[in-house]
Amino acid sequence: MMNCEDYRHQIAADPTFDGGAGHLSVCAECQAFRAEMQSLNVKIAKAMQLDIPDLNIPELPTIDQANVVPLAARAPLSKPAWFAVAATVMLAAVIGFRMFGFGVSYDSLADEVLAHLDHEPYALRVTDTPVTDERLAKVVPADIAQPDHSAGLVTYAQSCVINGKKVPHLVIQGERGPVTILLMPEETVGMAEVLDGENIRGVILPVGAGSIAIIGAREENLERIEKSVVNSVMWST
Amino acid sequence: MNSSSAEADRRRRFDRIVTVLHPDMYRYAAWLSRDKAIAEDVVQEALLRAWKSLDALRDDDAAKPWLLTIVRRENARYFERRRLETVDIDNLTASQAALLAEAPNEELAELREAIFELDDDYREPLVLQVLMGYSTTEIGELMGLKQGAVLTRLHRARLKLKDNVAQEERS
Repeated sequence: MMNCEDYRHQIAADPTFDGGAGHLSVCAECQAFRAEMQSLNVKIAKAMQLDIPDLNIPELPTIDQANVVPLAARAPLSKPAWFAVAATVMLAAVIGFRMFGFGVSYDSLADEVLAHLDHEPYALRVTDTPVTDERLAKVVPADIAQPDHSAGLVTYAQSCVINGKKVPHLVIQGERGPVTILLMPEETVGMAEVLDGENIRGVILPVGAGSIAIIGAREENLERIEKSVVNSVMWST
Repeated sequence: MNSSSAEADRRRRFDRIVTVLHPDMYRYAAWLSRDKAIAEDVVQEALLRAWKSLDALRDDDAAKPWLLTIVRRENARYFERRRLETVDIDNLTASQAALLAEAPNEELAELREAIFELDDDYREPLVLQVLMGYSTTEIGELMGLKQGAVLTRLHRARLKLKDNVAQEERS
């Protein structure tokens, strides 16, 4: 059964908390505390209400879809098999162009890297479920890097496109939350570029002829992760 | 489908999403920045970024966390660019004061000021929970925190507000 301290911690964190019924039934003080927290929560919700200004959508740039190849009209059944294969490849290209946002240009590699984090916010989940070794091996070919879970649990692995090139995008669980890693063997940078935000901190590091981007929470110890990732990279050796 | 038709479909999808979620974007931005004018700037930037990234949103049902994540990053970038990280409650700009001035009565005005004065670390999860209806797990995912840390921040935030209300009642 919960004690008063545990119960009050829970109910103050979430006034809709409905556990601890056993404790609540025998503790009048916690019943009063619960009622106080629920009343306070109603007032907080009212105090947070704001007048919403009208929606004013800014001028939106045209997304260049010139690279999107329109599909040909359905072919007659008499077309040879190679035509079906070609159409499938073309469809994949169209989907690929749309998914990866080709045609959107960025001022710098840092801008594109940060925008990519916005593209895939669901990658930045706090979780303790690692990706499988098979998945990791599929996304990170052995000639690019040989990552393992030593720098932190790898919980996301996806092939993404940065600056028109396919790169492995990994997320590991750091000490202060998820840390994004982009392995960019073909993206040359002259010197390390620090990405310094209010809530995030990161770096794009030159590694051989390519680079790696590592971005985490502001308080994260990225240096430890950097060392591990650089050691795992194969293209610089 | 030709490119102009695809572009029109894309625009319709965008309008549909942001029309529904604009109030949440604005409220979140306003309570993050504590400034109505900055919130409007942040929302404008977030709308632009969302437009450019729309094709990456695979499921419209996930649009709310996707847009709020973009608002969060744009707010961080705004303050990074301008280095305006602290607010002096006794020396507010007109736009900051306007946020406090909207309370319907004196009791709520005092509570709103207390929320305004909470540290960002406490105010943000409270806004996500109370205004956005997020669970503590979802708050942890958005803020990159373990659930235990979220619970602790929410607990401390409410105790601070409770103390503040009690003080106001005594005075």
